[in-house]
Amino acid sequence: MEKKLIKLSEVSKVFKVGEENFTALHEVSLDIESGAFMSFVGPSGSGKTTLLNLIGGLDVPTTGNIYFKESGLSSMSRQQMAQYRRENIGFIFQTYNLLPVYSVYENVLFPLLLKGSKEKEVRDRVMDIVAKVGLSDQSNKRPSQLSGGQCQRVAIARALVKDPPLILADEPTANLDTENSLQILELMRELNRQYKAAVVFSTHDEKVTRYVRREVKLEDGRILSDKNNLNGGSK
Amino acid sequence: MITFLFKGVLRDKSRFLFPFLIVTIGVALVISLVGFMEGTMMGMIDNTANLDTGHLRLVNKPFYDEEHLRPLDRSLAAQKETREWLEKNSSDKVKWYPRIRWGAILDVPDEKGDTVSQTPIVGMALELKNKGSLELKRLRLDESLVGGKFPELKNEMLMGDQLAKTLGIELGREVTLIGQSFDGGLVADNYRVVGLVKFGVSAMDKKMVLIDLSDAQNSFYMEDMITDWLGFMPVKFSLKEYEEIKRNMTQPLSQWIEKPPISWAKDDRPILLTIRDQQNIGSMTDKFNIIKGFVVGIFTFLMILVLWNAGILNGIHRYGEMGLRLAFGESHWKVIFNLGVEGLFIGILGTITGCLFGGAFAWYLQEVGINMGDSFAQSGLMINDIVRARLTTGAFIQGIVPGVFASVAGNLVASLAIFKRSEANLFRELEAG
Repeated sequence: MEKKLIKLSEVSKVFKVGEENFTALHEVSLDIESGAFMSFVGPSGSGKTTLLNLIGGLDVPTTGNIYFKESGLSSMSRQQMAQYRRENIGFIFQTYNLLPVYSVYENVLFPLLLKGSKEKEVRDRVMDIVAKVGLSDQSNKRPSQLSGGQCQRVAIARALVKDPPLILADEPTANLDTENSLQILELMRELNRQYKAAVVFSTHDEKVTRYVRREVKLEDGRILSDKNNLNGGSK
Repeated sequence: MITFLFKGVLRDKSRFLFPFLIVTIGVALVISLVGFMEGTMMGMIDNTANLDTGHLRLVNKPFYDEEHLRPLDRSLAAQKETREWLEKNSSDKVKWYPRIRWGAILDVPDEKGDTVSQTPIVGMALELKNKGSLELKRLRLDESLVGGKFPELKNEMLMGDQLAKTLGIELGREVTLIGQSFDGGLVADNYRVVGLVKFGVSAMDKKMVLIDLSDAQNSFYMEDMITDWLGFMPVKFSLKEYEEIKRNMTQPLSQWIEKPPISWAKDDRPILLTIRDQQNIGSMTDKFNIIKGFVVGIFTFLMILVLWNAGILNGIHRYGEMGLRLAFGESHWKVIFNLGVEGLFIGILGTITGCLFGGAFAWYLQEVGINMGDSFAQSGLMINDIVRARLTTGAFIQGIVPGVFASVAGNLVASLAIFKRSEANLFRELEAG
């Protein structure tokens, strides 16, 4: 039995929109195991990004609790939340969000510097992960000199470099063509195997759902279905 | 991490170049402006001190009260004793020199002795024939002599070049001084014009005549009498130090007045003045310092305002980056701190560059100056025709402090917007961007 990494217990999130309240999540409960390769699937407004933000410690639930390895996120201070994100979460974004003035190498190095590592101590590690995503010969280039697919590879390397137990990927293939999307998904599946980090996608891309081992369908802030994909995750 | 951030700052023109230029220009302007203001003011003070008031001045109060009339009968006797008292009771830093201020009618006769022209003049008698006297250097007479030589023989004089031109006097011409002696009698004594001087101060070039102290004492029957004892200190000392020396001399002076030299008149009562006490200079310097404070304050405020706006624009431009950094686990405080460090970095670089440019410009103004002789031609101010800046440590401090402060403050004020936003908000903006 795999260990629970994240546990959501009756989590609701209400946003105030003008004078009215908008409930983005309704008492959602679910578990995420270590090493999971799964997705939140649903149309816009279904609550998948809100769910990722809550799990990633970027937002706090209105009611309910989220636990990371049995530690409640709700009771954490702002500083502790920052530390939680710094040490445990890797983010991958739809628009890559690479720092434009830094090279590929420096973008991947960035999360390690935030953790307090010294560059000379982690140089090999950064170059190793850059090589794993197939960008060794591009390491000195800036994001503006790369294609969309290459940028997303940099973002994956950046998320993985600090060896986090959980990677949250928000629509990572939405800006890519089919060929690049498949390459990225293949790469992520491979790295999930190698690094044992749980990967959680939020997506409405059908291609993603073919790769994941578990699919949680969301609609109007509620879980519609939560099923394992027996073919997902295999080559 | 700091090196990493600096790399980013230097590579990102939008967040480096504009604030850097603002700081550079601001600091350069403050240094040039303060240098020029101080140069003008201190030039005027130095000129006034050297030519007229000294940094400290011992003068008989009855003379001082009617100074405009040059009442030689109220001069102070006991020249030797007075010098000894001054040297004993003032500071070692002060060097004392005797001078006589006098006024007379200058008569220019023809070969037959008939008057060709006449004009009232103001004169100063000082140690002109003593080649070792610092008075010659102090009045920069070597540089100011535009024709002839210094007095060497009895009854030789130096004359302002414009005065000589107005009266049609050439070198070697004999003139007559008609004035009042110490005891109230009429004086008429002949002098030979042996040198023409251009002080560079219009008021003096048009009216001033210099003679040796011993000649003045002889012509005006003032044996052992002096109108002014001027004390001079090296330029590095400030106005405050003159005040302190004056304070320290107050009590000995009172005691001296109680037991005066026997040659003093009954109502002789020497007083000690600093340059601040004379010619309204105290009030002028106070106002000058207030104005200077305003100028520096306004520049700093404007710099902060511009840098704040630049910081806000940058902040908006960098919301994505800030959101990312927060998402990756950098705390709000660390983000703000790093922005402050960035501001400090830009501030220091801009300030160094501003110091170089501002310093170079102020140095140029100090060495070459600006000729404002035409503007001062009708003025009675003791100010040089060539106005020069003065490059001082104070001017640099007044440029450096606001330069660095404005840059950091601009970034920090702008960063408040980031601080107030939650991670999720920045994250959403990041996604939207």
